[in-house]
Amino acid sequence: MAKGGTATDLALSGLTKVFGTATVVDRVTLRIAAGEMVALLGPSGCGKTTTLRMIAGLVEPTKGEVLIGGYRITRVPSHRRNIGMLFQNYALFPHMSVAANVAFGLQMRGMAKALIQPKVASALALVQLGDYAERLPSALSGGQQQRVALARAIVIEPSLLLLDEPLGALDRNLRESMQVEIRQIQQRLGITAVMVTHDQEEALTMADRVVIMRDGRLEQVGTPAEIYSRPTSRFVASFIGASNFLRGSVAGRNGDQLQVQLASGGQVLVPSADGGRSEILISVRPEAVGLRRIGETPSASESGTPATVQQIVYRGQTTHVHMRLDDGEPFVAFLPNRQGEQAKTFSAGEKVWASWSSQSNWPVADS
Amino acid sequence: MTTSALETTGIASRRPMLPRSLVGLLLLGPALAFLMTFLVLPSLILLGYSVLTQSQAGDISLPLTFGSYERLVTSAAYRRVAMTTLRVAFFTSVVALLLAYPLAMVIAYGRPLASRITMMLVVAPLVVSVIVRTYGWQLVLGNNNTGVLNWLLSALGAGPASVRLLYTEWAIVIASVHVFLPLMVLPLAASLARINSSLNEAARMLGAPAWRAFLRITLPLSIPGLIAGLTIVFSLTAASYVTPQMVGGNRGLMLGVLLEQQINTSFDWPMAAALAAVLVAIALIANVGVGWLAERHFRGR
Ligand SMILES: Nc1ncnc2c1ncn2[C@@H]1O[C@H](COP(=O)(O)OP(=O)(O)OP(=O)(O)O)[C@@H](O)[C@H]1O
Ligand SMILES: [Mg+2]
Repeated sequence: MAKGGTATDLALSGLTKVFGTATVVDRVTLRIAAGEMVALLGPSGCGKTTTLRMIAGLVEPTKGEVLIGGYRITRVPSHRRNIGMLFQNYALFPHMSVAANVAFGLQMRGMAKALIQPKVASALALVQLGDYAERLPSALSGGQQQRVALARAIVIEPSLLLLDEPLGALDRNLRESMQVEIRQIQQRLGITAVMVTHDQEEALTMADRVVIMRDGRLEQVGTPAEIYSRPTSRFVASFIGASNFLRGSVAGRNGDQLQVQLASGGQVLVPSADGGRSEILISVRPEAVGLRRIGETPSASESGTPATVQQIVYRGQTTHVHMRLDDGEPFVAFLPNRQGEQAKTFSAGEKVWASWSSQSNWPVADS
Repeated sequence: MTTSALETTGIASRRPMLPRSLVGLLLLGPALAFLMTFLVLPSLILLGYSVLTQSQAGDISLPLTFGSYERLVTSAAYRRVAMTTLRVAFFTSVVALLLAYPLAMVIAYGRPLASRITMMLVVAPLVVSVIVRTYGWQLVLGNNNTGVLNWLLSALGAGPASVRLLYTEWAIVIASVHVFLPLMVLPLAASLARINSSLNEAARMLGAPAWRAFLRITLPLSIPGLIAGLTIVFSLTAASYVTPQMVGGNRGLMLGVLLEQQINTSFDWPMAAALAAVLVAIALIANVGVGWLAERHFRGR
């Protein structure tokens, strides 16, 4: 099971699923390169699982095509697609031993017993469960069960690995170590993988690219850094991490930047390609925001707006300062607790000057 | 904090005075008393009868004897009836199982509407009395051209009175399957519905075509329901009286009918009691045997 030349690319083209009158997946078009891991991320009910199950062949698309390695497999039944799949509830066969579970896919391929055994052993060794071969799944912990399921899925050398919230049933610490483990194995074997999750951290840590879905459509596709630092819409900005939104009107243009007059007071510079708009929505990440007392002079490269402190919440690594802007919108700053002092010097009701580097301004669509 | 502490003491002071095991026994009491009075006690009396002697006058008393059992085992006629009984029970269980499995699959996995309609169709016969249903089978299976089946076949050009089913073992099997089918379907459907659907999907993803996924996953995991259904149908068929009496005739004589004859025709109570004991034994052996077989099969995988 060394990294082979088996990695294949996946393409979805206009993939659509209609249940009754509800369009649950709407013209999803996406290319996933060989060996790449992509995470489908989105709120509950946005169609992630349905998309994954259409790739698996467990749900028949209403329209559109699925292509693996350039071959159209939309009409190929699940059992001939050679796709490995991990389920949220592990779906191990409860009446078979761990080894028999892992051997199942090879048996279905008509492989000789003598060949199956070493493959099963090396797959179990890969997930560090070599000593558990003869146990029944019920005698394993949740994390161990999902590792068996992983061994079972990769032993067939699938051209694609699908994961539907594979770690959703595990507790936080285990989930983090499993994220790393699955990711390492996926990279080592060079398997193309599509994962569904509604845990944004999981998506950011595990995936090469993240696909944000909303109401059955692709909202934004990009690397974790792109999605986080350059969200295209208010929806993405607030779904991935936390974000502040500032309303403003365009006052002028300065090179490739727009001069924006904030509704809450203050002028900022915003990078923007299209200058045709007069109204603009700006996203500012709370961890980029610092606070000053009114009267302290801000530096020239800073953006800022006046605000009134409402609540201060100590969160260990950071202190969250919740504020209200002069136009009534909420605004929040995550201040690092290096000395644990800065945040303490503000109190509820106090007028402050919230400021951030102008590079943190990012325009988003208001949707 | 204080309120929760107060609440805890409140609960503690309301703790029942009786130990839990005693409460359990008290709750079980009525059912236990009922079973003792109307099942265990009569069964013991019956077993007692089977080893007593009946005088010419008809009194049943000592001395103890295994004469009735001896006659049962040594007489070719009795052995033939016992074999008929086992055969009919066996074939009824097998046919019921084959018919029940697809029905149970529809109930467990079908669309809600199909599932509910199938369920109703399966259960509906239960509301009609066994006697009425068996009369129905008499009419359907009649051996001359008045039988519905023969009439239909001859209308289709098969010649007059082409099948002879009534008053054979097969008539009993057919009618018994009809009577006991729901008792096979229901435990099976319950067992199938408990199987997580993702197991089947996992098997498909691993390369199993539908039929192999069924044989390797669905079938073995439905074994608990299979055992329950087989045991119930086998025991009830072996012990049945009405159906073999009405459609079995002399060639389909079964232990239950023989037992009735011993009491009402031969007035031989010890023999009847011995037959009853054999029926109970068959039911028990079926229960244990099917379970054991299934268990072995299950473990073997
Ligand atoms: N078999 C079905 N019949 C009808 N509607 C369905 C069916 N399967 C899914 N849906 C609907 O499609 C929508 C999308 O479901 P899907 O399971 O793909 O969401 P999801 O993004 O995976 O959500 P979650 O994060 O909660 O798992 C939901 O509104 C769901 O109710
Ligand atoms: Mg889902």
